[in-house]
Amino acid sequence: MKSTAACLITLTGLIAPTCIVPGWQVLAAELETNSQTNSQTATTADPETDTAAAHPSTGTAAPWIEKAVLHHVEANDFRGQLDKQALLQLIDSGKQLFNARFTRLDGAGRPMATQAIIPTKRKRASRSVFSRTAGLDANACASCHNVPVVGGAGDFAVNVFVSEGFEHTDFDSTDPQFSNERNTNHLFGAGLVELLAREMTRELRAERTRALAEARITGERVRIALSAKGVDYGTLLAYPDGRVDPTGIEGVDHDLVLRPFTHKGVMTSLRQFTINALNHHHGMQAEERFGARWTGQADHDEDGLPNEISAGDVSALVAWQASLAPPSEKHPVDTRWQDAAIAGRRHFDDAGCNACHLPYLPLTSLEFADPGPLDAAGTLRRGEASDAVYSLELLDWAARLKRDENGHYKIPLFGDLKRHVIADRQIASLGNELLSQRFVQRNVFMTTELWGVASTAPYGHRGDLTTLTDIIDAHGGEARASRDAWKAMTALQQNQLIAWLKTLVIEP
Amino acid sequence: MNALAYAACVTLLCLLTSTAAAQDTAQDTAHDTSLDTAQNIAHDTSPVTSQDTARKAAYTGDIPVLIEEAQAAGIQHRYAGPWEYFVGGGVSTFDCNQDRLPDIYLAGGQAEAGLFINRSRTAGPLQFERSADTTLSLERVTGSYPLDIDNDGFQDLVILRVGENLLFRGGPDCRFSPANLSWNFDGGNAWSTAFSASFEADRHFPTLAIGNYVDRSAPGSPWGTCRANELHRPADTTERSTVPPDYSDPLPLSPGYCALSMLFTDWNKSGVDALRITNDRQYYRGGQEQLWQLDGGRYPRLFGSAEGWQPLVIWGMGIAEADLDADGYPEYALTSMGDTKLQVLDVRQAIEENRPSYEDMAWNRGATAHRPYTGDDLKPSTGWHAQFEDMNNDALLDLFITKGNVESMNDFARFDPDNLLLGTFDGSFSEQGLQSGVALNRRGRGASITDFNADGLLDIVVVNRGDNVSLFRNAGMAGPEGPRPGGNWLKIALVQNGANRNAIGARLSVKTGNHVQTRRLQVGGGHASGSAGFVHIGLGVGERATVRVQWPDGQWSAPFKLFANHHIIIERDRDTLIQWFPNATTQETVPAANPVSSPHTHGVAKHVSGN
Repeated sequence: MKSTAACLITLTGLIAPTCIVPGWQVLAAELETNSQTNSQTATTADPETDTAAAHPSTGTAAPWIEKAVLHHVEANDFRGQLDKQALLQLIDSGKQLFNARFTRLDGAGRPMATQAIIPTKRKRASRSVFSRTAGLDANACASCHNVPVVGGAGDFAVNVFVSEGFEHTDFDSTDPQFSNERNTNHLFGAGLVELLAREMTRELRAERTRALAEARITGERVRIALSAKGVDYGTLLAYPDGRVDPTGIEGVDHDLVLRPFTHKGVMTSLRQFTINALNHHHGMQAEERFGARWTGQADHDEDGLPNEISAGDVSALVAWQASLAPPSEKHPVDTRWQDAAIAGRRHFDDAGCNACHLPYLPLTSLEFADPGPLDAAGTLRRGEASDAVYSLELLDWAARLKRDENGHYKIPLFGDLKRHVIADRQIASLGNELLSQRFVQRNVFMTTELWGVASTAPYGHRGDLTTLTDIIDAHGGEARASRDAWKAMTALQQNQLIAWLKTLVIEP
Repeated sequence: MNALAYAACVTLLCLLTSTAAAQDTAQDTAHDTSLDTAQNIAHDTSPVTSQDTARKAAYTGDIPVLIEEAQAAGIQHRYAGPWEYFVGGGVSTFDCNQDRLPDIYLAGGQAEAGLFINRSRTAGPLQFERSADTTLSLERVTGSYPLDIDNDGFQDLVILRVGENLLFRGGPDCRFSPANLSWNFDGGNAWSTAFSASFEADRHFPTLAIGNYVDRSAPGSPWGTCRANELHRPADTTERSTVPPDYSDPLPLSPGYCALSMLFTDWNKSGVDALRITNDRQYYRGGQEQLWQLDGGRYPRLFGSAEGWQPLVIWGMGIAEADLDADGYPEYALTSMGDTKLQVLDVRQAIEENRPSYEDMAWNRGATAHRPYTGDDLKPSTGWHAQFEDMNNDALLDLFITKGNVESMNDFARFDPDNLLLGTFDGSFSEQGLQSGVALNRRGRGASITDFNADGLLDIVVVNRGDNVSLFRNAGMAGPEGPRPGGNWLKIALVQNGANRNAIGARLSVKTGNHVQTRRLQVGGGHASGSAGFVHIGLGVGERATVRVQWPDGQWSAPFKLFANHHIIIERDRDTLIQWFPNATTQETVPAANPVSSPHTHGVAKHVSGN
């Protein structure tokens, strides 16, 4: 027992994949962990599946049951406009699921399915349940998202190896020909990021619609410059007959859906990403993607458990992530730090860093619809079932959001939600991947939002840069001029800029 | 011969005929309980039936909600006439006014054919307006097929008739002009019921094949008096860009066995089309299904049994082609009276010996559709038009079959609803006609499946004998609270310069994850019905697809990376694609005039118009 407990404590307070104990000790470890985490999960049992562990007198789940998900969230319980109580209840369920260390009794494992986001069968069962490369590579979402707290970023030790999951699905090498190694992003302010992306997508698409309308009316081709919230996304050419040449579009996909998540900017929504990650990292397959509707099977991964994650479960996970407070800019007590930060902020602007790391983007509404308006089939869409809307304004942190002169919320993400080429011939270290991802070339990445940067070392999409200085030095490509300006600064100026970046923290 | 006499003859012949197909049908009818009452199903213990029942019970995919709204859409049109019009009844769907929405040309039989212009709003109810131009308001039309014969960028129309067949040259705004004379096309005086076209190698214009039915003037007609079919090859021209098509030297394709559908097909993945013909055993003597070799423009030659062609005798009514397993070798659905065939090539024989040997897999895959799936009428069905498409966008091809008694054949089902066989993940099909809404009491004939309102969901138009057409709008997938969105989709149009502007014969390879689908652009098949325009591909949960084009000359394109739920135009020799958006305001809501401002604003959309 002691050895098991020590193992738990040593590794970030959570059971790590490598923490193997003899069989009889698993039960004990579960008991102890359940106790430590103060009952992560609800206590109602499914008598159909939990008979063996049901309490003999009450029929409820026994405390020693080896499951992390004792009941699924029912999406129908959270429909329509949610009030604060319902929202908090949904968030709480999401928090439990985010921390839940899924077991095989919950459905963890995907012996006959790959990590691909499109349900894909293996040709033969995987050789091992867990693998640090091809997955499963984590027990819980919180296993990786925990710096500085749960929901945060991750250490280099919990990098993930991103593969499309269609070929070489059992790769057991970190060789970059098989996967892109990625550091774990933090999720604070993620709800606001998604809302910004939705509004910007709507703006971009409306501009396309206007261009087409003008072309139709005038009978002439119309080329427009695309922009949303002040961020330029290149041009498109509209023809009078409804054709559009998207060749000039930059920094966003040709469908003009701004996908704000992942280093690469290839995931549309928290919901989509959550479903992907549950399958990839845990082998927990969401019914809305892997269920019988899209695969013909309720148990697509053939682990003996159907419909492992309900639509309501995903909604809860989304709600918890969307409700995470945005990082903030702290005001140091140390007056030297204060002065340095003020100067550093100025140097940041002078070097042109703010061309991509925009200090804020304006957001019109805090109404968060889940499912959202932009997801495609395989992620629940509006009109499919259980549409919910809740206002992030119900959350305490919303009162701290500043507004601009138009009454719009100023979201201080220090990003532009746009993809850029970030490496060049001389400064190439951020172009170190061999595989493109979802049509995005290997040297192109979404501008990393700087909010929370002081709390989320290490840096770079691989997490292989230990200081802010190193990551600034590594900026090439479209950021080369700013990087060169940074290199041209005096040591004091550089120091001051770092001082300011160190004020961008996650304060739970 | 009047209708009743004809029906009596047909019935008698049906009872006396003893062929493998008839036996199949009888056996199938005897033991099949696929759509019997629950009681019958419960008592049946045959393994096949159990599988079949399980297949139906287990269907978990999306079922499209198909709403019949022809009348509300402004279409009032029926196919009618005496026994010459028991067969035929085709429809063409193609864009004749350059708005990229499919318009409809409907055969009328003895009555006038009608051209209906598509006025539907994007994703809205279907709406059509009958063309005031009466150029195409012809009588004695059995069917039609659209294609751009003269390579001018406008769809032309091949009109099959009881009597002279007609070619019409298309122009802007749905204007058509007769072209038989200018293109030296002899329309003959046959009873034509089938058509296909192919751009043979090194020819600037398409080769046209016309299938004929009974020769009514021959002694003993109609029995054993099938008329020869026709092959109209264009004359080789040297000044190709200026010289019009010249079809002055047609070839007979003899023997003819009363063709009811034909299709140029690259059956062996050779890049050279052969001509597949399905024939109606009702009238031929010693006939069978046919496959003509046309290699290199040589004189047509039939595949025989020595070359692996296995005689197949059915009441062939319609052909649908699809490459169900994406191996490049197409499968064929052949409609008939009784069971539909699903022919799968013996690939080994094809590769090693170039033998077109096929096995019927319809029963194994639940695609026989041999009798009504609902109602009390247990007699065999009569199948006509067949078409593979993905009606629910789940990335699996479905099979739609029109059904309908010839006229009053007592040994065949009177209530004979159209079939919607939805593809399943195990490669079989599941009948969902009743659940989808297509199970109407009408006698279907030709049909076309296309997206009339540009919402990415395929709609269906069916020509019915003696009744108004059925126009099914696909309203989405059946859900617990009404129609809901289906899978993702793509619609792709191909364009190339010079000859064969619409790349007939090209092959699309569409990859989502490890799943590959293929489509081939063809003219022909079905039952007297054709279509032109965007090719539709369902993508299921794939939100991106990698698409390659094998152009008609065999050259492959570079891969195109496409995002789902868009109309895409791929132009040959251009590395990038073009998107197309229908003219509607339902796609995106235009925001208020004062978009969100930003301290970083570099100006809202700036116009540099006209460049």
